[in-house]
Amino acid sequence: MTSNLVSPLRCLTSNDDDRSGSLKLRDLSLATRSGVRGVHASQWLKSESLPHELQPNTIEALPDHRLLMALSTREFWLLDPDNPSGDTEPTFERTKPGVWPLYNQNSHAWLVLSGEPRADMLAKLCGVDLRSKAFPLGTVAQTQMALVSTIIAHHLWRGEPVFSLFIDQSLTDFAWEALQDAMAEFNTTR
Amino acid sequence: MKIMQCPLNGPRNISEFVYGGQVEPMPDPQQCSDKDWASYVFYDNNAIGIVREWWQHAPSSYWFIAERHNASDDILRTYDPGELFSERVDFTTGENEP
Repeated sequence: MTSNLVSPLRCLTSNDDDRSGSLKLRDLSLATRSGVRGVHASQWLKSESLPHELQPNTIEALPDHRLLMALSTREFWLLDPDNPSGDTEPTFERTKPGVWPLYNQNSHAWLVLSGEPRADMLAKLCGVDLRSKAFPLGTVAQTQMALVSTIIAHHLWRGEPVFSLFIDQSLTDFAWEALQDAMAEFNTTR
Repeated sequence: MKIMQCPLNGPRNISEFVYGGQVEPMPDPQQCSDKDWASYVFYDNNAIGIVREWWQHAPSSYWFIAERHNASDDILRTYDPGELFSERVDFTTGENEP
């Protein structure tokens, strides 16, 4: 019996075809990310010369092409999609009481979905309206996708609007398969 | 699908939420009787009316408070627990007790 499962950790794309508008799913789980949480997390970001006034559920590009994502007033993730992770230690370390590092390098897989019909495709799996009118660039939704808790961030990557999907590592195989199944409808030749 | 308004994330399907019990004043766990503590942990006031409850939005692990009519199941209001609680509650371990 053969398996159709595709590992999300092999940095595979869903489709090598570069037709305009086609959906692509990439695995960025090996890219660098870290985070902090705590009542003083915002002040700590300020001490690191990072933006510290982000509204919850927003994401902002930094001048060095990293991304800063605010999940609440007390939790922030720093994402570096073009920099492979060199180790498993979080970039942020505990610096003072009220600020704790998040081990999101290990806790969450990172998938990136691109292509024009990405919102229409995710509508098959997610109840949140992800069309650009309701979910513009710079916004984040913490919700469920295929009944799996997922953080969805809408941002630019290499000049292209994409959705970053952060999923519990242990559920990534299932989510990957569900996404591939949903994408098949949109990537067929008409 | 029933929709609930999360104070942090906005309207979400009710399947994204987890019930966390009624909001009640916590007795001092070092001073109260076992019966009072069990009542606080395990028992709810089940009278018909508007109840104040803990709910969690599971995808974001965010706890908040909802006011709900337990007969009609109408959710009247949801809000951040910071409206009721201004300080973190820490527990003593009671390690010195016999």
